[in-house]
Parts: sequence; structure tokens; C-alpha cells
Amino acid sequence: MLFKKRRTEKSASPNRMMLRRTLFLMIVCGIVAFIALGARLFQLQILDHETYETAAVDQQLRETTVTAKRGTIYDRNMNILAMSASVSNIYISPAEIQANEEDPAAIAQGLSEILGVDYAEILEKTTHTNSWYMTVARKVEDDVADQVRAFKEAGFTDKDGNHKIYQGVKIEEASKRYYPYSSLACHVIGFVGADDHGLAGLEYYYDDLLSGTDGRIVRATNANGTDMLFTDFEDYYDAVDGQSIVTTIDETVQRYLETRLAQAAEDYMLRDGAAGIVMDVDTAAILGMASVGSFDLNDYMAIDPETMEQIENNSAGLTIEEHDALVEEARGEMWRNKALTETYEPGSVFKIITLAAGLECGATTMESSYFCGGSIDVLGRTDPLNCSNLAGHGDQTLTEAAMHSCNVAFVTIGLRIGAERFYDYIRAFGLFERTGVDLTGEAGSIWWDEDTFFDKSNLSQLAAAAFGQTFTITPLQLITAVSAVANGGYLMKPYLVKEVLNADGTVASQTEPTVVRQVISEETSRKCCEILEQVVGNRNGTGVNAYVAGYRVCGKTGTSEDVTWEVAHGTKKYITSFLGFAPADDPKVAVLILLKDPDPACGYGVSGGTMAAPTVGNVLADVLPYLGVEPEYDEGEEAIVDQRVPKLVGKTPSEAQATAEAAGLKVKSVQGDGAAVTAQLPAANAKVAAGSEVVLYCGVEPDMELVEVPSLKGMYYSDARVVAGWSGLYVRGEGTMMDSDNILTVSQSIEEGTMVEPGTVITVRLNDATKVGIW
Amino acid sequence: MASKTESAVSYSGARLADYTEDISGERGPVDLPFTLLSLLLLTIGVVMVLSASFARAYYDPTNSTGGNATYYFVRQALFALCGVGVMFACSRFPMSFYRQISGIVMLVSLALLALVLVPGIGEKVNGARRWINLKFTTFQPSEITKIAVIMWFAVLICKNKDGLRDFKHGLLPFIILLGIICGLLVLEPHMSAIIIILAIGLVMLFLGGLPLYWFIGGGLAAGTLLGVGYAIFPYVRDRFAAWLNPFADASDTGWQIVQSLYAIGSGGMLGLGLGNSRQKYLYLPEEHNDFIFSVYCEELGFIGAMLLLALFALLIIRGFWLSMHVRDRYSALVGAGITTHLAMQVILNVAVCTNSIPCTGISLPLFSYGGTALLLQMAELGIILSLSRDIPEKR
Repeated sequence: MLFKKRRTEKSASPNRMMLRRTLFLMIVCGIVAFIALGARLFQLQILDHETYETAAVDQQLRETTVTAKRGTIYDRNMNILAMSASVSNIYISPAEIQANEEDPAAIAQGLSEILGVDYAEILEKTTHTNSWYMTVARKVEDDVADQVRAFKEAGFTDKDGNHKIYQGVKIEEASKRYYPYSSLACHVIGFVGADDHGLAGLEYYYDDLLSGTDGRIVRATNANGTDMLFTDFEDYYDAVDGQSIVTTIDETVQRYLETRLAQAAEDYMLRDGAAGIVMDVDTAAILGMASVGSFDLNDYMAIDPETMEQIENNSAGLTIEEHDALVEEARGEMWRNKALTETYEPGSVFKIITLAAGLECGATTMESSYFCGGSIDVLGRTDPLNCSNLAGHGDQTLTEAAMHSCNVAFVTIGLRIGAERFYDYIRAFGLFERTGVDLTGEAGSIWWDEDTFFDKSNLSQLAAAAFGQTFTITPLQLITAVSAVANGGYLMKPYLVKEVLNADGTVASQTEPTVVRQVISEETSRKCCEILEQVVGNRNGTGVNAYVAGYRVCGKTGTSEDVTWEVAHGTKKYITSFLGFAPADDPKVAVLILLKDPDPACGYGVSGGTMAAPTVGNVLADVLPYLGVEPEYDEGEEAIVDQRVPKLVGKTPSEAQATAEAAGLKVKSVQGDGAAVTAQLPAANAKVAAGSEVVLYCGVEPDMELVEVPSLKGMYYSDARVVAGWSGLYVRGEGTMMDSDNILTVSQSIEEGTMVEPGTVITVRLNDATKVGIW
Repeated sequence: MASKTESAVSYSGARLADYTEDISGERGPVDLPFTLLSLLLLTIGVVMVLSASFARAYYDPTNSTGGNATYYFVRQALFALCGVGVMFACSRFPMSFYRQISGIVMLVSLALLALVLVPGIGEKVNGARRWINLKFTTFQPSEITKIAVIMWFAVLICKNKDGLRDFKHGLLPFIILLGIICGLLVLEPHMSAIIIILAIGLVMLFLGGLPLYWFIGGGLAAGTLLGVGYAIFPYVRDRFAAWLNPFADASDTGWQIVQSLYAIGSGGMLGLGLGNSRQKYLYLPEEHNDFIFSVYCEELGFIGAMLLLALFALLIIRGFWLSMHVRDRYSALVGAGITTHLAMQVILNVAVCTNSIPCTGISLPLFSYGGTALLLQMAELGIILSLSRDIPEKR
């Protein structure tokens, strides 16, 4: 029987040992091992969960940055000083090139042709197959990016004959900074680096505000870098575009300032550049701020060829490091905002502050008089302190002392104020501390410590400080303090940004002018203006060369030695400066200009009165009409200031004559006998000196044979007009048009001997060349 | 019954028919807990194959699925259905039948182990010749060898009445057989199979009553061998280094382990949710295979992992429990052997996924993708169900 058979085949029952051993296995394999594994999982999933999750998420998520648009920088009239435009960065993803079996050589070839990047360089980058991001070109323009896009789309045909695009070629949006006015206000605006963050100027100071917040797109991707399936794991963080700033800089004022500074740098052969500030006297808003030694913001690394040539000439025998250091130095020099980051001895310009302090505290009055014998003894000095005029200014009123820039008088005033009170005023005028202007790099002033300054047995420090020596301040500190003298006594905090705009154009914030404190009374302020007007407006004043016909300009000259330079190099280096403001009865605008290290070989005497004063005068002549301050000419001025030639063609000769005379011109002659004027010299709209003689042509052509320009230098303005007239030429004047025996023509815009058409207008510069002195 | 024969190791179709007819009437029902646990784990396993494999099937980096996201799932599900049939079929054969075919199974497995080494029959993948391609599917002969060792060792132990105390007649045949098998596997080579087969062999000898000092001595010998191997072969050292600090070379030798740890670790307490693994998106290699447990942990978290391990533990404990309660010595040995095999695969697989032991390729029973392997596992479970029917009901 089968049943039986099976029974007999059956083996014996398991013995006890086998049961024990099976039970042992059951405990080991069924319980102990699982408890161990459970503990291990507890460690991995619970204790170390965050570590592993972070690492996993890190590899699973790929982040794409959405660049926030950088804000715009406007001038006060919403002219764009700096703006960002969208460009593209081109990069490759070697990992994807490899994964998708794209041909690295073809990609390198294509990109090289479009971008002009070296073929070998791109090919080398494709070998970094661990990388997802290798930059090929930064900030390429849209049309180039479009070509790259087309190349990417054109793609290639894979081995199965399918069309594939180049996944490994990537185009990323970025932005590029443009500065429409190139070098205009370069030191104020500043520039951004490759990462689109500000490195200098307002771009740096307001970087947080301008740059906004970059957005991000976070995606979950598979190991090949493409999207994970069926997951909504995608997060957007919107980019917040940067805010825009509206500066107090006025593009037109800035341009006037820079043009005049450049002209001064050339005329006076300045060897250490120049600095200038134009300030709104009432608010301390900075309308213009410039340094000579400028650069193109669109190419901020480039040093001008002349300087570069000089470096190359000087670097014979230098190591590469030393040469590079010279280049770096030159770059630092051209980037330096001299009006803000450098301090100097203000010299006689500072007498404005001494004057204001003296009048305010009663140390001097409008009625005070001072005798100057050429020097003054000061307690603590072994030798007497000399005045600029060693012969002495004699008896002077306070106003005359200011006009003469008399050191003896101002030392006297300073000593009467007293050291403690003097320092109180310095503190009140904010000259001990930085102004707090919204720009980085502001230098701090250097003064005697109080113990030395307050020394009763040695008044030499106080005496020197009274006329602006033995301490240094920044140009910005000085013009801010003088603005307080001019505006009724209110020290204002200077500023450069008047408004912050949101990306949508709405106003985010506005800067209200900040009164730091009232330093002097309005009465004292008025008196100061009255006195300082005489410095410029009186023919005996040292500042006459800053005079602007039709305006009552106040001001003060300064000529200081660069003491640190002299100590270091043993040679003299002068800074000639002038601070002017106008109009005297209600000052609107102040201009401070520093001309550094002029070469005496330029032919003009080295002095604030001959160099800085006319430069400031020219700036004021440009700026005041622009700012809407109407000129008021007196009779003498009306006879000489420039007039615009009216259009006379088409009128009858008698009508033409009447029109010309109404415009302050005369008619020299009428050629021909036609009924109407067919031609005129000079042409309509030309600007010529008042009283110039117009020639009218009625039916005959003017004789246009070229004439030779005569010398017009070194003569009175009226004579220059006559001399030019002999050749059928006209003049107009620039500079000090004042009825003074000392004011002569010093230069002409078209050099003597040049052949020009009749009727050409030659600009002559007028100057009182006697105003040379260390004051 | 004309074809009846006295030979213990031969059988014919007629006898097979006899067994089925015979058993259906006389034997008890299959063990319900073991059946349900098996089916439950199989179901979870198939679902996990779908979840774990669809990303790879969709992206198809090796050009084998045609981009069909359910490619692996459909195949695994079909094999699972067949597997259920196989399991119940196996449960119907009496244990004496298995005892009778044990020798044949061993001979066939040895033949296949030799055949797979023949180029043209054995398929070479990654430098190892482990697979035989049957056109519709592939299988590893070493999988059959594992069952063969269990079945044939059980037969030998039953014959050996004096409990393996005599070395020449007791232990030596086992050692020779294991030596031959390991030699063939070394030629493939197939390290993880050697480990499992040696372990199974040792467990069978342990159950068979081999004195414990052999194990102590063998353990010392194995430790020495391991030390020597570590000293001699840089390959072994690298493995150990990758085990001790997989992050040192996370992009190369440590890649699998690091990705597995990322998956398990990021699961946390509750997991990312079924189907939401992110590591399966081509980060984790073998995600539907040797590392399917890592995906499971990532999706179902610590709680899910504990539940799964509990189910496996219960299945294993039940397997041993059944082996202890069967009255027949052969059945007890085969039952304990199969259960040990199952336990070892589960424990080693989870240990590898959690970097508790150096990395080696061990699949997770009922979970890892692979048709023939699954069928064989189901057959093994079927054998346990078969022996469960011989356990007398408690009164």
C-alpha cells in the first residue's frame, strides 16, 4: 500500500537537540536580528533624519536665480545717470553635454564663432563633466544671446537620426549697468562690479537699496538634472527689483562744473588735479561735485592713455609687481573723490568762518578798524607773523580787511575771540566731525588737541587757525560751513539723494533738508554777505576775478601750501582755492573750487585770486542763469555785457538799425542800396559785446575773404573790441567785466594769426592779473 | 499501479498523481497565518516594485523598457500571480516527495552551475557570468542551488544516524559538496551567493547536530581568512573602507550606500508618502531591486519600516515554529533551512541598505524585482506550507 510505503519512508522525529537549535535560530533570526535592524533604522530615520534629509534635498533640488533689476540713478531732473539693461550670461553644463551625448567640439566651435571666445578654452570647459555650470561669456547683448539661442535650438542629429537641441548650452538672464553720461559725476555715481553690486560712490552707498532681492526658482530634479515626474515640487521666490534713487546732482550744473574744472586744469597746468562742489546754500543739497582725474564709468578700469604712457615710461627696470602697483596707484588716484576723501589746509577762505564767529560773538563789529603794518607779534612766536602784504595794509575797516585778506586783522580778531570760544564755533560749524553726507569715504578733519590749542602761553596755534592754517578739513566740510554763514546761520546736513523711488515709480521716501543747528544769527549772516560781496564786487577786493556781471557775488580767495607735501618732498605745492556764493542779498548757490599744484610756467600768477576766482566766477556765470536767478546789470555793465545779435535780414535798413540799437548794438555801415537787408554780419543769434557794430548788406554779397586774427591780449575790453572791428571781427567777453583799470584781456579763443571769415566772434577772457598773492 | 518502483529517488507521472490524490484526503489544511503573511508581504512587495521602478522604467537609461513606466511592475505582477499558483501547488506535494527529488534537484543545480559558466549559455553582466537567459526571462542557477543545498543536506543528515560525529562519514561529504558548489560560484564569480549558500550549509549542519566546537573552530578560521583577505586584497580593503565611511567617496564607491542612506534617512518618522520617493529618480541604483527597501523606508518612514520588519519577523518565527512542530525530521530540517534562508536574505538585505554590513548584492525576498527568483521563493514558502499540513491539529 502506498500509504504504508510512505509511512516507512518517513524519517524519525526530530530529537530534542534539533528542537533546541531550531529555537535558537528562531530567536536569533526572528527576534534579535530584527531588533538590531530596528535600532539601526531608528538611528537613520529618527536621530539622523535631518542630516540625511538635508543632504538628499541638496542633491535633488536645483536652484535657478532670477536676477532682480537694479534700480536707476537719476539726477534731480530725472535724467538717467545710471541704469541697468538686461543682458545674458552664456554658460555650459558639461554634465548635460556628456549625459545627452552632445558633441563638445561642435559646441565649442559654435559658441566660439558667436561669442569670440577662444575655441580651446570652451573645449577645456566641456571636460569638467562633474560641473553643471561653466561660464563662457558674461553680459552679452541681446542680439548675441539670440544667436546663441538659435545655435542651441538648431542642435544636432543624434545617432538614431533624431533632432536634438543642445541641452548643455545655457542662457541666463543678467543685467548690465550703463552710464549714459560716461564720466559725468563719475566719483559721485560710482560703479558696480561684475556681480552687479556697487563698488564705489552712490552705487556702493545705496547698494542694498538699488540691488533689490534676487528671486529663485527651486525645482526637484532627477539625477540627470531634468524635472522629476509627477511632483509639484517647484517653488518660486519672486525677485524684488531694486529701488531707484533721485540724486540732488543736476546734470547741467555738474557739466558746467566739470567743464570749467577741466579748462582750469589745462590753463593752469594743474599737476595734482582739482576738486569742486556746487551746493544749494539753503538745503546743503549737493548740485555738483567733481574731481579732475576722472574716468568713464562704462569702462571704469581704463586709465587715460597719457597717464598710462607716463607709467610705461617710468617703469623701465621695474618688476611686473612694481609696475602693476603703479597702475593700481594711478587707478586709485583717478577714482578718488577729492572733494570728499581728502583734507587740506583751507587757508584764507577760512577767514569767512573767523569773520562770522568774530561778528557773532562781538569780537569784531562792522565799525571795527584794524591797522596792518605788515606783521603782528603773537605770544608764543619768536618771530612776528607776516601779512601777505609785507608793506602792510595800513588802516582798514573790517570790510577792507576782508577785501585785502589781511592776516594781521584776522589774527587780531581770532585772538579776541579766544581759543575756547574759537573752538566752540568750529564745533558749531561742524568742522570737528564728518558731515555725514550719504557717500562713503568721507575724510575726517585734523585739528590741534584742546590742551595745545587752549595754551594761554602760546597763541600761535589760534593765530594761525584764524586765517586757515595748521589744521585740515575736507572741501565738503568747508562749503557746508560757509553755506551756514550764507543762508542765515543754519548748518545743514549735506546730502546727495533727495528721493527714493520704488520699482513701480512711486515715491518710497524723500529726504527733507536737515538743520543740524543754527550757528550764527541771521543778522550776522547778513553782515558777512555784505562784507564778502565787497571782496568780489569791489575793484580793490582780492576776489574781483570771480565777479559776474549782473550778479552780486560774495566770496573769498584762498592760497595754501600743501604742508605735508613740503615736509615729504621739500618742494612747495600750492592749492589755490575760491569759495563764492550768490546772490548776496539772498544766496542760492555756493561754489568751492580747489586747484591743486598749478605750474607757475602756465603764465598766470599762482594765487586763488587769479586762478580759482575766475574759475568759480565762470561756474557762477553758467549756473546762476540756469537756476533762474535773473541778472541785474548796472549802467556800466549794460554797455559791455554780451548781447545776442537779432535777425535783421528781411527788414528795411531803417527798421534793422532800430532793432539793432534796441538790442544794444550799433550799425557800422549799410552796404548796397536794396530796399531790404539781404545779409548781416555777424550772423543772427551770435553773442557779441554790447555796442558792437553790425554791418548790413542790402542787395550785395558780403566780402567773405578770410582775414587774419589780430592779437587781442593785454588790452582793455573796449580796445579789444575796436581792434577786432578793424579786421571785421567781433569780440565777446568772459570773466571779470568790471570797470577797473586793472582788468585786461588775458587770452583769446582764436589765436593771433589764424585766418577766419569776417564776422567771426572771438571770445576774450578778462582778468585782473594783479590779484596775485598768498591769500 | 503498474509503474510503482522501489527506488527512493525516482518518480514518475503516475506516482505524482498518486501523491496528489493521496494527500488531498489525508493531510490537514495549510497553516493559515503563514499563508496570509506570505500573501500580504508579496502584495506589498509588488506595489513597492511599481512605486520604486516607474521612474527608471520611464527614463529608461539603459534602453530596456522602451520608456514604459509600468514595464517592471507588470512583469513582476504576472510572476507574482504565477508565484501564488506555484506556492499552493508546492503545498500540495507531500514532504516525502520532496525528500525523493532532493538528489535530482542537487544534481540539476550542479549541472546548471556548470552550464552557466559556458559562454553562450551563461550571460555575462558586469564581468560576472551568473545568468541563464531563457528568452522570456533570465534566472540565476545559484538560486536553485540554495534550495538544493537545503533539501539534499536534510536528506544526508537524516541518513546519518550518529549525528555527524564521525568526520569521514559524517562531515566530509558535506564539505566536499560545499567545496564543489563554492568552486563553481567562484568561477562566475558570485560572492553573495557563496556567503548565503555557505551560511545555509552551516545552519543545516548546526541543526543536524554537528558538535558546537566545529562552529567555534570554523568561526575562528573564517575570521582568520577574512583578516588575511583584508591584508592581501586591496579590493577587500576598499569595500571595508567604503563601508566604514561611504561619504569619503560618495560619487563613486560610496555612491550606492550614500544614496541609500539619503533615502532611508529622509524618510523620517512617517515617510514622504507612498509613491513619493525622490531618491528613486535615478539617484539610487537598483532601486526596484537590491535597494527596494530603501525606497520603502523613504516613502513609508520609520513606522512603515517597523511594520514591514514585524511582518517579516512574524513570517520567520512562524516558519521556525512550524518546523519545530512537525513530527518528521526531514520536514523539520527543510522547514528550518528554508526559514533560515528567508531570514538571512531579509536581514542581510536590510543590513546592506542601512550600511550595517559592507555592501553586497542580496535581494529582498518577495520585494526585489526578478521573476524566477520570486517563483523559487514562492516554491520554498509552498514547501513550508506543505510541511505545515503534516502537523497534527491540537485537540
